[in-house]
Amino acid sequence: MSETTSGLLLAGVGGQGVLLASMIVADALVRAGHDVKQSEVHGMAQRGGSVFGHIRWGSRVDSPLVPLGSAEVLAAFEWAEAIRWVPYVRDGGAVVADIRMIVPPGACSDRRSWSMPYPGIDAEVFASRGLKTRLVDASAIATELGNVRAANNVVLGSLAAFLDIDVVHWEAAIEQFVPRGTEEVNLAAFRAGREASEAQIPLPTVEPEGFSGPHEIDIRHDWCKGCDICSRICPEYCLAVNGDGVLTVTNAEACTGCRLCVLLCPDFAITIHPPQEPATVPVHAVQGGASR
Amino acid sequence: MTDINTYLREWTMPHVLCPGCAHGIVLRSFLEAVDQLQLDPDKLAMVAGIGCSSRLIGHVDFCTLHGTHGRAPAFATGLKLARPELNVVVLTGDGDALAIGGNHMIHAARRNIDITVLMLSNAIYGMTGGQSAPTTPEGAVASTTPAGNTEPMFDSCKLLIGAGASFVARVFAANPLEMTKVMADGITHPGFSFIEVISDCPEYFGRYNNIGGGANMLSWMTVQDEGVAGPLSAKRFVNHVPITVLSPALATGVLEREVRPVFSGIREG
Amino acid sequence: MSDVQLIQGNEACVRGALAVGCRFYAGYPITPSSEIAEQMVRLLPGIGGVFIQMEDEIASLASIIGASIAGTKAMTATSGPGFSLMQEHIGFATMAEVPCVIVNVMRGGPSTGLPTSPSQGDVMQARWGTHGDHPAIVLAPSSVGEVFDATVRAFNLSERFRTPVIVLYDEIVGHTRESVALPDSVEIVDRIQPNSDGSEFWPKRAAADGVPPMSAFGDGHRFHITGLTHGERGFPTNDPQVAEALITRLHRKVEAHAEEIIEVEVFMMDDAETAIFAYGIVGRSAREAVLRARADGVKVGLIRPLTLWPFPYAQVAEAAKQVDTLVVAEMNLGQLIGEVERAAVGQAEIVGYLRVDGEPITPTALLNVVASVSGGQA
Repeated sequence: MSETTSGLLLAGVGGQGVLLASMIVADALVRAGHDVKQSEVHGMAQRGGSVFGHIRWGSRVDSPLVPLGSAEVLAAFEWAEAIRWVPYVRDGGAVVADIRMIVPPGACSDRRSWSMPYPGIDAEVFASRGLKTRLVDASAIATELGNVRAANNVVLGSLAAFLDIDVVHWEAAIEQFVPRGTEEVNLAAFRAGREASEAQIPLPTVEPEGFSGPHEIDIRHDWCKGCDICSRICPEYCLAVNGDGVLTVTNAEACTGCRLCVLLCPDFAITIHPPQEPATVPVHAVQGGASR
Repeated sequence: MTDINTYLREWTMPHVLCPGCAHGIVLRSFLEAVDQLQLDPDKLAMVAGIGCSSRLIGHVDFCTLHGTHGRAPAFATGLKLARPELNVVVLTGDGDALAIGGNHMIHAARRNIDITVLMLSNAIYGMTGGQSAPTTPEGAVASTTPAGNTEPMFDSCKLLIGAGASFVARVFAANPLEMTKVMADGITHPGFSFIEVISDCPEYFGRYNNIGGGANMLSWMTVQDEGVAGPLSAKRFVNHVPITVLSPALATGVLEREVRPVFSGIREG
Repeated sequence: MSDVQLIQGNEACVRGALAVGCRFYAGYPITPSSEIAEQMVRLLPGIGGVFIQMEDEIASLASIIGASIAGTKAMTATSGPGFSLMQEHIGFATMAEVPCVIVNVMRGGPSTGLPTSPSQGDVMQARWGTHGDHPAIVLAPSSVGEVFDATVRAFNLSERFRTPVIVLYDEIVGHTRESVALPDSVEIVDRIQPNSDGSEFWPKRAAADGVPPMSAFGDGHRFHITGLTHGERGFPTNDPQVAEALITRLHRKVEAHAEEIIEVEVFMMDDAETAIFAYGIVGRSAREAVLRARADGVKVGLIRPLTLWPFPYAQVAEAAKQVDTLVVAEMNLGQLIGEVERAAVGQAEIVGYLRVDGEPITPTALLNVVASVSGGQA
């Protein structure tokens, strides 16, 4: 048992299971014999918003809040959250980060990945402060295991390398907290995370096809939140939300200008220009903040 | 045709609500009504309480008063009486209007003050994380009714008709054209107009009750509202939930319209 | 001055409000303040004003805030139980910086308490009743004439600083009829209007004195008002710096002008060895006690604040340096005595005479206290 108090941070976005992971870590630390305090923030819970948890442990802990620049380790479940919270890690500490990128809907500027103002994948930002880093593609690993929602336990598996907790405690904590029936996949995810090495990180590639320029349907990507209402109600199957949550025009020629998508878009993000008007700005040229 | 987005405070967009939340559709339909009626934005005051729906007024370029939880009708009463030339529209939610603000709502209706209330009903408290509301159907799951709601729900339109509202209507967020028409009627009606818009909360109500996201919830509305079943329910909506199990049938359309003396406070003449 | 009239305290409140330009009243019936509403409904319509009886006190204050946002001077009146309900919107008016006047004719509490008996039990609620850090301006008249003046001042301070102002007096002052000569006209302060130079109006961009100009809904500036923490443009934010700037400015605009706001009557203090600190109706008993003690040769003076908040720390501190004993008389279990102790910082002995039985504090009672602290001479 350590004489002093140690702290760690978990950070991600709403819906990733950050708070569940936070409870698992805290419970594993308790099982390992530590005094533990844990605190979490999940406020105006828009899905996609920032969610984080503080955990401190030691022989005696008085406050759950980890001071800036003092965390032993940061476990980030999303890339921008890793960048956001890294100042909490002490020099020479460690960072475990999922390279998954989730552009927040409430702060969406252009969500197409090749043009969005979003931090790139670069472990150098951590190396410059002497931080031990371990990047994992947790979502891909969890998907391969059969349940993308187990990605949080992949991250915990990677985190385990930096914490002196017997694996028995980890697995007992996971079994206690994950939803009934998902114990097996979550334990598998945890084990996969332990084995994952940073060398195996494939950088995501960007495939901009599908944006080459519908002439009637004008999508304001900086306002679109990627809900599927328009794509599901379009009678002509003109629209689709792709795997990155980005709305794409898949069949521009079929648009009849019925405006159902315009009227039912909750985010004011679609304009239909009548055919007699000159061709409109192609989708790929619409940038954040531009008006029609 | 006016670009409806010119009524927005563009620099505040995108708005604060979740993906798939139909409240934005309702706001758009309201702006279409404002545009059809050619209301003067300088003389259009929107008053809201607290909650997801109430936050919308920050995004529209009118005179906007974001008051306290449930009290919007009382703020609106003062505004309207002190400045009768204002068009005053209250934007409120079901918890805001019927729980904490129920008293103010029924008394504004009873007086027949010339304001229009748009109540966006999503059967749950969204901003605080999905607790049950006075409009949560019996049996529905919310974070404070994990085993299913055991309280009966309000039929808000019956409540408001009973309280004396002279224009009462219920419309569905899935039907924007009908919404715009009814809202325009409500705004021009002399006296107190109450319009309940059945909206959605995919993030909490939809998730807790296994209905799915925004599109599925709109689809559910089309099942409820036979009058708009045409274009929306025809095609690719899947996983229809037999939500009639959760919700009693709700009468839709304009349910009350009567002309009676408009309240303007005790004043000269 | 016009002719001398015999009027009630609550009536003087109405006269003051109308003289200074109040044209909107919303209220809910409650003893002992109901006469204010009953007078307002008779007088307002004839001068272009509007009266409404609301469904409760929460709504009363909400509707006068609405009226004020529409550009009309507005007030409400209530007593303890209603004042409790109003705390929500006192906070809103403070945060949104909406001028309005709230009159609280105090009665015995807590809860329904003593509806027809006087009290000074709401002094701290008037300061701290609404949640969060906030400034407060609270005036405490002690006579019918002072009720008129305090109501006029309340509107002027409210317009000057864009903040709610509370007039606090008790059941005796409210219901006493006295002969007073009301002035034909009064000083009238109006809120500062924004420049009409075509630039975008930012409703919370303050002038150097911390007070932002205020436009009215319908005047052509389309702006946003919210009780959420907001920036100068009026829109919500969680930015810690903006939050601190807003809350500190709300305080600064009042605290930095405390001298302009604070009024204290200092009576027979030149050679006083004992001072009585009293306000409201107790201040009148204290004045009489001072006169009687002086007749017996006892050197007693009176410190009587007409402004309770901001508290007159400087004036009390000065008195504490001079006298041996400060007698604090309140019709509560000791609400301002703590502030007196803070101001006196041990320079004088503080003796409380505190009463919560619904009975007024008489000059004789105070005379006895003064006698006991000054060696039994009075």
